[in-house]
This record gives sequence, structure tokens and C-alpha cells, in this order.
Amino acid sequence: MQLPFEPPASGPGTSSEPANASRPPIVVNENTDISQLSQAQLYDLNQNLLDDAVPDQPLIGPLTSMSTLRAEYKEGSRSFVDQIDYLISQGYVSIRRARGDGDCFYRSLAFGFIENLLNSPQTDVAVAIATSLLESTVPMLEEAGFQELVFEDFYEVLLSLIQQIDTPEPGGTTLTSEILLEAFQSPEVSNSVVVYLRLVASAQIRNNPKEYAPFLFHPEIGEPMDTREFCEHFVEAVGKEADHVQMTALTRALKMSVNVAYLDGRSHTGKVDFVEFRDPDSQLENNPPITLLYRPGHYDILDERTAEAL
Amino acid sequence: MDARLRRVNKEITDCKNDKASNVQIELIDNSPFHLKGTFQGPEDTPYEGGCFDVDIVIPEAYPFQPVKMKFITKVYHPNVSSASGAICLDILKDAWSPVLTLKSTLISLQSLLCSPEPNDPQDAEVAKHYMTSKQSFNDTARYWTHIYAGGPEVSGAVKGSKVTQDDAEQDEIAMAGLEKAHVDQFESLGFPRSKVIEVLRRLNYRGANVAKINEDRVVEELLK
Repeated sequence: MQLPFEPPASGPGTSSEPANASRPPIVVNENTDISQLSQAQLYDLNQNLLDDAVPDQPLIGPLTSMSTLRAEYKEGSRSFVDQIDYLISQGYVSIRRARGDGDCFYRSLAFGFIENLLNSPQTDVAVAIATSLLESTVPMLEEAGFQELVFEDFYEVLLSLIQQIDTPEPGGTTLTSEILLEAFQSPEVSNSVVVYLRLVASAQIRNNPKEYAPFLFHPEIGEPMDTREFCEHFVEAVGKEADHVQMTALTRALKMSVNVAYLDGRSHTGKVDFVEFRDPDSQLENNPPITLLYRPGHYDILDERTAEAL
Repeated sequence: MDARLRRVNKEITDCKNDKASNVQIELIDNSPFHLKGTFQGPEDTPYEGGCFDVDIVIPEAYPFQPVKMKFITKVYHPNVSSASGAICLDILKDAWSPVLTLKSTLISLQSLLCSPEPNDPQDAEVAKHYMTSKQSFNDTARYWTHIYAGGPEVSGAVKGSKVTQDDAEQDEIAMAGLEKAHVDQFESLGFPRSKVIEVLRRLNYRGANVAKINEDRVVEELLK
């Protein structure tokens, strides 16, 4: 294909961006009346807070012991500590954290999905099944009305990660846990995979409106929403958290088995409820389910292995 | 080649090949990350017949981060700053998705011209004008389209400006969306015309509001 531009010799990102002729920065102190700020100022303020709240947490972290999570709740809620102890007693001794940027469900799930393939007893079979599954999502996305040019780059990133499990990269190696983690910590790779999963979830909802429409509600005001509007605002948009509908759609489209442990501090017995997402036609049934940990507003990955065992 | 450049190249090519959408994208300088988008004002709106240019900056993390757009052509619209061209539109902020393209975003700007959202304004004064008198707002927006976007001449000129002894002064009043009679009234008290226009515009001295604003209040503002 003939491209209109060659990469700039000085590398990406050196173009001089004109100063954003926008609003003066907001200085917030004890005298600030939030109600006097404009929508645009509130947006900037919120973005700044979000940026501060997500400092250098990696997009996906290394495997760490559940005891570190337990220590964070030790001074706080007893019921959270009890539930963490319960999870440890069930064998979930480790946690892999995702950055709290609203993409954590998709990112955690994608990481768990590829790691499962990597650890499969027969990687060739697992890779072949996953590849054909992924290939089947392309016509799905087209049916949903997505232009190929907006998704092909993301698709290729995900596909090549999966294929790297069995086929070494040109001049490189096959996928290892370390390479996978590194890939998921690189924003370009990680976000490409996240966006692809968002589009698959959206396509699944858009293509089966009868099945999903009754469950599409605005997450804040609780009103029923039109399928297209819901998908645009709460599935495809960057950083929008996944709820039950998106989780169901995605796990069905990719025929995944997922368990979600709800750590909500509400249990009287100290037990943790697991919500299971199963696809009736799953072909990857020999793989263990991906287990995610839910805390209100956030997802991480649970693991039965210790970091040392990796 | 990095992902951003690959994607932008594809989008530009796609836009060039699509003759049906009436959206153009071209270079501003030598960077593929600083572009100019152009589209026609939508039919049956005060922007009809105008041609609108948009400054486009592709951020480093595109397409994971929203593209930055602002109007180069001056637009009289509640969701566009009449001074800077800054745009208030959700997809340019927290509703951005990487499935959106430069072309689809420009088309969304075109639809924004059809359906202003005065409750989430970028330009509060323009939004007030819109809420107070739709008719007068449309006249002003049409006048701006004529002056800045090459739109058709406004037939019969703007309301209250039938006398045309001084075109430059007429323009100033029509630009501000005010009536000549009101400006004349306060100018005759000895205040400079530009000051009168500035104050009346700020006070939204239009339509039903005129009856609500005491003349003394206007004079008080003029004396400040």
C-alpha cells in the first residue's frame, strides 16, 4: 500500500503541537466553589485528579502474594480481611494487579486468556483453537459495522501475541511469561488488546440486540438505553468500566470460562461469592477458568501459583 | 512505523477515496499529525452554504487518546468558543473511542452544528443568546456564516438594521447579535458604541430579556 507519509526522520512525537488554546488551569483551594466551575473546568479537574490517582502503577503488575493485599486492609475493614483469608484458604495465594484506569476488566481478562493458553498442556491445540476463535471475530466486527481500518491494527497485535506462543517472532523467541508481562506493560500493545476486546464485546451486543437489549441501562442514571448508544458510550469508549452485560457478551463471544470473586466486605460468614461466566460451547474446556478478583469498581487477576513457582 | 502514523496514513487515504462524505482532510505543515479538516455547513441550519475549517492535532497516544480539534473558521454556536474555536463535544473528551476516525469525528462536528446543546455550553454568552431568542440567534449565526465561512448574503440584512448609512457599524451590531435601535439608544447618552455593544452583549439584551433589564442597570454597567 502506498502511504502518504514516511515516518519523520526525527522519530514520532516530535511534531510541534500548537499550544492548546483552551482554558486557564484551575487552581482549587478551600475557597473554590465547585458549583461555579464550568463543565469544561470540571472535566479538566477530574482528569487531573484521575491522572494523580493513577501514578506509576503498571498496566499489569507482577504476581505478588495475597498477603500484601491483606496488609492493606489490616487497619481497615475486618470483613475484607476475613474474605481475603477465605480466598487464600481456597488456594488463591497470589494476585496480579491491573491499573485502575477503567480498562482493568478487559486488560486482566486478556492477560489471563493468553497466559492460560501459554500454560496449556498442549499449546499447539490451544493456539489453534484460540486463533480460529479470534479469526471468527473479524466478520463479527464487520457485521456490527466497524470499519476494518479501525480494528485491523488491534487485531493483529492480539493475534501475533497468541501465535508467538508456538511460533517464534522473526529474530526473537517464543512467548514466555516475562515477555507476555512486558507486552502488557507496554501501552501500545496492552491498549490495542484492550480495545480489540471492547470491540468484540460491542459487536456481540450489537449483533444480538434481542438477547442483550433488555439489560442495557445507563450505569449512572439507570435508564434503559438504545443498543447503539450504550455500545458507543459504555463499551467502545476508552476507560469505561465493564459491567455484567459487557462481561457476559465478551466471555460468550470468545467462549471463555471466567470466575469472578466478589470481594465486597459484605459477607457475614467471611466467604466470597464467585460468579461464573461459562460459554455452553466452550472448546477450551480443558483449560482452567480465568479467575478475576472484583473489588467495587476494580478488577485484578487471582492466581493459585506463588511468584516463586513461576 | 509506529502505530499512530500507520493509523493516520490509513485514515487520510480512506478520506481521500471517499467522495461521498464531503469531508476533506489536508496538511497544515509538513507533519502528518497536524492537519486541517473541512466540511460544509449542514442544510436547513444558519450554517448552510458556509465552509468550515477545523484545526486537527493528533496526540502522541492516538488512537487511544482523543484527537484534538478546534474550529479555525469562526462559528457562532453555543458549543464553540466564539473567540478561540474550542469545541465542547463528548467524543473529543471522555466519550472518545478508538473506533472513531478523523472523518467520523468531523462528521460529528457537522451534526453538532445541527443540534446545539445549550445546557453544556462552551461559550456561555452565545448559549444565553440561543436560549433567549432562537430567531435572533439564527440571524447572528447566519451573519457569521456569511462573513467568516463564505455563506450566502443575509437577505434583508439582520433585524433592525434596515438603515445602511455605515456598513462597518452595522456589521459590528449584527456580529454581536444585537439590535441597532438598542445600541443607538445608549450611544445617544454619550457612551462609545463599542462599549455599548460589549455591555449589551454581556447582559444578553435581546428578545424578552430587554423588558427584564432596567435601563439604569445598563447605564450602571456602562459606567463601570
